[in-house]
Amino acid sequence: MNGLRIKFLRGEEVKYISHLDLMKVFERALRRARLPVAYSQGFNPHPEMIFGLPLSVGVTSEAEYADFGLEGNVSPADFMRRLNAQLPAGLKVLEAKKKFAKDNIMASITMASYRITVSAEGHFDREFLQEKINDFIERPTIIVKKETKSKVRDVDIKPMIHQLCLGDSEEGTFTVNSLLSAGSSANLKPELLYDAFADTFGPGIKLKAIHRTGLFVSRNGVMVDPMDDRVLEGTNPKR
Amino acid sequence: MSLNDRISDDILRSVEKPARYTGNEWNVVQKDVNNIKIRFAFCFPDVYEVGMSHLGMRILYHLINEREDSWCERVFAPWVDMEEKMRENGIPLFALESHDPVGIFDFVGFSLQYEMSYTNIINMLDLAGIPIRTADRTEEHPFVCAGGPCSCNPEPLAGIIDFFILGEAEEVINEVLDIYKEWKENGAAREDFLDRISSVEGVYVPGFYDVQYNGDGTVKSVNPIKDKYPRKVRKRIVKDLDNVYYPEKVIVPFTDIVHNRLMLELFRGCIRGCRFCQAGFIYRPVREKNPEKLVECAKKLEESTGYEEISLASLSTSDYTGLGELTEQLIEEMEPRKVNLALPSLRVDSFSLNLMEKAQKVRKSGLTFAPEAGTQRLRDVINKGVTEEDLINSVSIAFAGGWSTVKLYFMLGLPTEAFEDIAGIADLGKKVVDAYMNTPKEKRGKGLKVTLSTSSFVPKPFTPFQWEAQDTIEVLVEKQKFLKDNIKSRYITYNWHEPELSFLEAVFARGDRKTGEVLIKAWEKGCKFDSWGDHFKFEKWIEAFDECGVDPAFYANRKRNHDEVFPWDHIDMGISKKFLLKENERAYKGELTSNCRVGCSGCGAAAFGSSICIKND
Repeated sequence: MNGLRIKFLRGEEVKYISHLDLMKVFERALRRARLPVAYSQGFNPHPEMIFGLPLSVGVTSEAEYADFGLEGNVSPADFMRRLNAQLPAGLKVLEAKKKFAKDNIMASITMASYRITVSAEGHFDREFLQEKINDFIERPTIIVKKETKSKVRDVDIKPMIHQLCLGDSEEGTFTVNSLLSAGSSANLKPELLYDAFADTFGPGIKLKAIHRTGLFVSRNGVMVDPMDDRVLEGTNPKR
Repeated sequence: MSLNDRISDDILRSVEKPARYTGNEWNVVQKDVNNIKIRFAFCFPDVYEVGMSHLGMRILYHLINEREDSWCERVFAPWVDMEEKMRENGIPLFALESHDPVGIFDFVGFSLQYEMSYTNIINMLDLAGIPIRTADRTEEHPFVCAGGPCSCNPEPLAGIIDFFILGEAEEVINEVLDIYKEWKENGAAREDFLDRISSVEGVYVPGFYDVQYNGDGTVKSVNPIKDKYPRKVRKRIVKDLDNVYYPEKVIVPFTDIVHNRLMLELFRGCIRGCRFCQAGFIYRPVREKNPEKLVECAKKLEESTGYEEISLASLSTSDYTGLGELTEQLIEEMEPRKVNLALPSLRVDSFSLNLMEKAQKVRKSGLTFAPEAGTQRLRDVINKGVTEEDLINSVSIAFAGGWSTVKLYFMLGLPTEAFEDIAGIADLGKKVVDAYMNTPKEKRGKGLKVTLSTSSFVPKPFTPFQWEAQDTIEVLVEKQKFLKDNIKSRYITYNWHEPELSFLEAVFARGDRKTGEVLIKAWEKGCKFDSWGDHFKFEKWIEAFDECGVDPAFYANRKRNHDEVFPWDHIDMGISKKFLLKENERAYKGELTSNCRVGCSGCGAAAFGSSICIKND
């Protein structure tokens, strides 16, 4: 099928919209833009549209992705221009490309990177912060309580943390950059990581903001940008 | 620190549905305050999801914003979690567009859709830092105004609202804003502005009227304090609906709201005249919009919003003369756009079922009927021109068409109601079940479900039942129990409303100025969001009545004499008291009154010169 993948950003203005509501926002923007998106059959036709990893309410991102099925001809550049004209402030398509591969974005995501901004009471110097992060990540296991619909269970999140390093630091605030497992097989939410980190850190810090900096798919075991031509062409020679 | 900084992420992260408070939706109107002379805060005394579903607000928002000199913004009641945060952090009530505090606006306008939202009005004024009582407001405060159906008896709010707009606001609001601009430039006193607008037809300034009471607590007289103020304040209507302003864009919310779809207004008013129904009288005369114009309007709205569903909004959609033509054209236009047409509850006959099949492409959701009363005798009393035969025919057609879920709405406590009438409700439910059983198995849908639902009758001003007593809570509970005991079929489910809420509704629907103090007292005791089950504190209300020395039963459960002066007698909604009294008498005789299309019953609305009344003359 004729398809497109877009990369878009989600800014401060729209960060409190839930994932489900965000899909509605796109659905209505597509209608307004009169883009030839394919619709499902049935009583309640829906556009063929698949989003990458849902973002929690309150989180911003510069690396969101979505796939669209098309019914007619429209160039990626045109699609991007027309959709952008109909998106509310805070949502912006950064890139659009033709997609030939069968794999959809949601199924192929394996990793996500986040910048976590922490507000601190007073000033912590970099060495101190670095040490705290090292202490945290060097523990043999990092057990957190994970709530599911029916129960709370202990989960070791350590295998899902692939990178954790100190970003900027200044009076009253510092950032931590992380690379975490994401997607259907293993998924670590940055909020859960922060809670575990804050537990070992002790008092004096508070979560200020979370920003998603990247989403990645795996290709032959290598982390790749979802907009990579090889990913979109689907010429992945599986073994 | 600006308010925008104070409504911090910390606060928004800690409340339910933060998108209620962030604004920035598609088609929102932003303006540069430096170029604006009048700032209008359109307040809906309920949460975002309810307020944003209200058509009137959507129309007036864009209408005021058409003016270059004015900026209308939206304000909703913050939910209790957000209110707590706001009070904790000293954040005043703010408008969604600019996030500026409502207290700095020129106008604060409330939409009065139901009596049980009154405490939210008081709470919002308090959150805005605006004095609750009109008497305490000065030149530095906004003017507080209100409109909407409940303003047909504005008296309970007379000490809280500076002025009311009666009837349809599209024309009045512009006249008021023009006068305001002039007044503001001249820098005259607050009262001077109210004085000037009191001559605009449709504007009621309660402070200019003096109420005298009789020894028994009833109203003796309501008189203007100066001769120049009208003795009776008449509502305004828009004569020509085809040329009245209707927005080509509406705001598309980011979160789900109660009615999350485009709404097309087909007509105003109702031809029916059901004797309990306030809406059926106060919006008269009936005025229809032209189907072609409506289709054009729908197309523009769809293009500017991208909405996936359109619904038809009116009191009794089946009565729209161009319904066939309109729906056909709408389906033709909207199907290729993948836009659904959602039909409201229609009077069910083969025509409307055919329509529903077409519109919804055989998604057989439940059908709703409102016989309102269980026996023909009582249906005749309320002038509900529906017979048992009609109903059984309708459901039989529906069952044969594959439907299997039916809801029937009734009222308990209607004037002259006897236990036979209540047993009649259960009976009717059983006959509906029988109608299903009599439908051939291969035709009917699976899983019959009949729901009987009763609300409690609330006597309302400007209806033929405005003289009637409401049943006491005890009697209503007894009637509910009686009905429950009479329902035997396992296919029938029975739902009922809490009578306590209906009791308070009855007090304030026909309340006078004395009941206004009770509203304030109840709010002081923590009453708000009264129509939200969890937040309804009936015992606090009873305390408030006690402490104010006001007997609620006097307002709710007392039958009035025919010559009693009502608190709203100086308000003219275009329906004459003489006509209502005649209708009241006909009710007791069980005599039906024809609808406006069959023949004019002389309600008084003909004075507005609508075409339906002229045709009848």
